[in-house]
Amino acid sequence: MTERGVVFDLGYTPHEGERRGRRGAIATMYRDGLYRVFGIHRRARKKILPWLLVVFAVLPAVAFVGFAFLLSTFAPDAESPFGSHADYFGLTGAIVLLFVALAAPELLIPDRREGVLAIYSSRPLTPDNYVGARAASLLTVIAGFTLIPQALMYVGFAALSSDGFFKALGANASEIPRILAATLVFGLAYAPLALLVSTIANRKAAATGIYLGIMLIGSALAAALVEATNLPGRRYAALLSLAEHPEYVTSWIFGGTGSGDLVVASTGLDPWVSLVAMLVIAVGSSLLVAWRYRRIM
Amino acid sequence: MDNTPILSASNLGHAYGSIVALHGVDFDLPPGRIGLVGANGAGKTTLIKILLGILRPTTGSVTALGFDATKDMLDVRSRIGYMPESDCLPLDVTASEFIVYAAGLAGLPRNAARQRSSDVLTLVGLEEERFRPLGGFSTGMKQRTKLAQAIVHDPELVFLDEPTAGLDPEGREEMLELISRLGGFGINVLVSSHVLGDIERTCDRVLMLDGGRVLRSGPLSHLVDADVVSVDVLGDVSAVVEHLTAAGATVETTGTRLLVSSSDDDPFRLVRDALVSTGNGMRSLGPKATTLEDVFLEGSGT
Repeated sequence: MTERGVVFDLGYTPHEGERRGRRGAIATMYRDGLYRVFGIHRRARKKILPWLLVVFAVLPAVAFVGFAFLLSTFAPDAESPFGSHADYFGLTGAIVLLFVALAAPELLIPDRREGVLAIYSSRPLTPDNYVGARAASLLTVIAGFTLIPQALMYVGFAALSSDGFFKALGANASEIPRILAATLVFGLAYAPLALLVSTIANRKAAATGIYLGIMLIGSALAAALVEATNLPGRRYAALLSLAEHPEYVTSWIFGGTGSGDLVVASTGLDPWVSLVAMLVIAVGSSLLVAWRYRRIM
Repeated sequence: MDNTPILSASNLGHAYGSIVALHGVDFDLPPGRIGLVGANGAGKTTLIKILLGILRPTTGSVTALGFDATKDMLDVRSRIGYMPESDCLPLDVTASEFIVYAAGLAGLPRNAARQRSSDVLTLVGLEEERFRPLGGFSTGMKQRTKLAQAIVHDPELVFLDEPTAGLDPEGREEMLELISRLGGFGINVLVSSHVLGDIERTCDRVLMLDGGRVLRSGPLSHLVDADVVSVDVLGDVSAVVEHLTAAGATVETTGTRLLVSSSDDDPFRLVRDALVSTGNGMRSLGPKATTLEDVFLEGSGT
């Protein structure tokens, strides 16, 4: 005898499981931010540039460790010519700046242009939660860009050390808080202003251009004002050189005095003045972004 | 069935500067499918934004699902869904990814969000298109995606703002069918629309706004089933009218057609007696077909 099949119409099944409320909403928003900036779950062309920049940020560290390996193998007594952790921040700074210029507009502008904010306004999120989650995504990306190559160098050089891996790790442990502090400095210097520009601009390309313009033309303007004028207190014009602040402060964190190529260093301003200028811009930008989103969400 | 109001307002008002959008609005709406109707500028969208906690009332108070919509905004938002009238879909992700995201934003854990996304996209008829980017969707598919994101987290109450806007007749039918089914899933619905026919098709209760004030509020059956009989008389119309008036009925005459109502008696019985007594016949007899549009136009004095 053949058994008769039975078709069940399951219809609509209510959700009776866990609901994580605001905590879950913020975590989802944060994860979405990371997906967006790396083009994950997006078309292939959205993945190319971010991942290319990741390669550019990490590749020198891999090369440094590789050359150090060759050097330790073939000329163990030779002094390593490769850069320190502080130097590497100078190297990746420009790549981080470019990535932030591309990532911040991607995080904020499509939500406004495509009207997705209307949906966020029906979820257990406040405007501050939204801005905070997006900023956290951007800061995480900046931290990834700076910390991953630093970690590669830290572990790689320790592995090649003639003193032994663990001893070398311990000997350089004092670098870890400095690396973390420098990462925070780059995050504060780059992210809030990029988010502010993306809050005002309505097109991603425009936001990227405006942000890079502010950061890079600021340095040229600062140099011109410092060198070509006789105005009293003109050295403070060097504070307009926004892209240089993180490098100058990072150098200070690692015990250096900053390259003489930096306008802000050449004027003799103390690094803490740079740090204060950076913090003022970061706090001011953050407040303006929060204010704007409280009005539109 | 628990008839505790799901939406209540007391002396609710809101003004955009000097422009008053809502004024002295009071209502208590029980669970079910509620139509929010009114002309453009009547205050429908302002009311929904206040219920979502996006706007603060200038005067009075409002509660949704027992929570103060202003003070307990996040509690309200955890329990409701919202389908905006305007475009609100990211164009570069697939329907599936977006609905999973929308579920996560409502607090559902990742696995539950994936399961619910699949179920809800099937429910709205998008199971075949779920891996296509939203940018390539037609208007009808976008509207269904918007509905899917509004119900993916199994809300207690969903606000639908002009859900049939921009749809062709077939898409409109499908959308109205979906809305009608929501009640069966235990989801209360507030449908905002200026298409009164859509409200008649999908709702069992109506809140009518006009110029920021409540025009009418109540069960749809009470509003549209006026106790009026329409009869088309064959013969001496004036004799029938005279008999009905003498029996205490109110009669409105248009040619041979009479609209008969009575506060004291059954108008059908009065019409039957009048026709028999005067020896006249009739072509048709039935309740007056009153639409929501009639009620709205009558109430707004248009």
